[in-house]
Amino acid sequence: MDFEPKIVAFVCNWCTYAGADLAGTSRTKYATNVSIIRFPCTGRIDFMLLMKAFENGADGIIVSGCHPNDCHYTSGNFHARRRWMVFRSLLDFMGFDTDRITFSWVSAAEGTKWANLVDDTTATIREKGPFTEFKKLDYSTFEKISNDAITE
Amino acid sequence: MFEDGTISLMIGFKTAINKLPVPCFINDASRVEQLIFTPECKGNLSVYLHKIEVKQAKKVGILANVATLRSLVQLTSENQLHDIEKTVITINTHDEVVVFENMEEVEAYVQENFPTYTEEDQKLLEHLNSLTRTERWQYWTEQFSACVKCYACRAVCPMCYCSSCTVESNQPQWIKVSSETTGNLEWHTMRAMHLAGRCINCGECGRICPVGIPVHLLTAQMNLDIEKEFGAKTGFSCKSGYALNTFKPGDKEQFIK
Repeated sequence: MDFEPKIVAFVCNWCTYAGADLAGTSRTKYATNVSIIRFPCTGRIDFMLLMKAFENGADGIIVSGCHPNDCHYTSGNFHARRRWMVFRSLLDFMGFDTDRITFSWVSAAEGTKWANLVDDTTATIREKGPFTEFKKLDYSTFEKISNDAITE
Repeated sequence: MFEDGTISLMIGFKTAINKLPVPCFINDASRVEQLIFTPECKGNLSVYLHKIEVKQAKKVGILANVATLRSLVQLTSENQLHDIEKTVITINTHDEVVVFENMEEVEAYVQENFPTYTEEDQKLLEHLNSLTRTERWQYWTEQFSACVKCYACRAVCPMCYCSSCTVESNQPQWIKVSSETTGNLEWHTMRAMHLAGRCINCGECGRICPVGIPVHLLTAQMNLDIEKEFGAKTGFSCKSGYALNTFKPGDKEQFIK
């Protein structure tokens, strides 16, 4: 069977969620691999939620919110942007595959941009394949222990 | 100082049975002779200022090396030392005892003698940055697989002062309790993220780690990045605050589509 990537989208209520809604109401067709999780604001998207999504089997993640200066709460996305910059550089330093997390700004009027974003991300992740690099960590400790036990 | 009542508790170092310096707490003048201060006294004693027993002593003296002074500056900027009357004492590079009158003097001293990364850390950072992504992943997952989740890195850190920590939360369970690589990776990511822009690079976490994971490099690298991106230095000024708690509308980034 062909590999179908699991993609989780963390979106803000005011812009990207409305944008995705627009894509739906205007009958735009896009990849069905994405599960959308709605947040009050990008400022609420804790980096631990992204880690948990990967732990629960996501192959790729989309994080999206209002364009700078358009935040419903004035500055949530500015704070989020700083956090993403730091988070991304930390993941990169740890050798984590940062290409699996797509950050984007999608406004409520950009239904087409949202559809394209999901299509593009799905295509990229499909090419990359399942995130085995991360998933196999779960078993590596046990394998190590059992291998040691066998050699002893 | 004990006689005139400026200090009721002194935190410093003394020599342990194994000849290594260990922290000691002195509450009367007769034991002051035990105090030592040598280049081996690398420990960051400011971590004890968060302890309730120390806070109750009210008038606390602390013998500080440069890293400790820097953490005192950062803690002041985070408004963590307002309820404690402290006398900060250090011994400068010319072997003179310096007693600071107030935090402004500490700040000036730190800015003058701003600590840099050790050669060893610099070499390892350069080496890691020269590797490819997969090699780095290999390196860190191998390191993290050894982690036993003793949380010594948290206990020793003067910046980890939250009274309740995310690792202890079990509803939801953010970090797996058992020691396995995914959970260890999550723990170290979380720790580094929560210290990003606050870590003062004393390197205690890396020194204390019983399995020798260079955890201090994660925050060290992030400090470098934050300084490069936002121009913010940690523990440099009592008023600077926290880099991730603020923003500039013109922050530059290349990866957001």
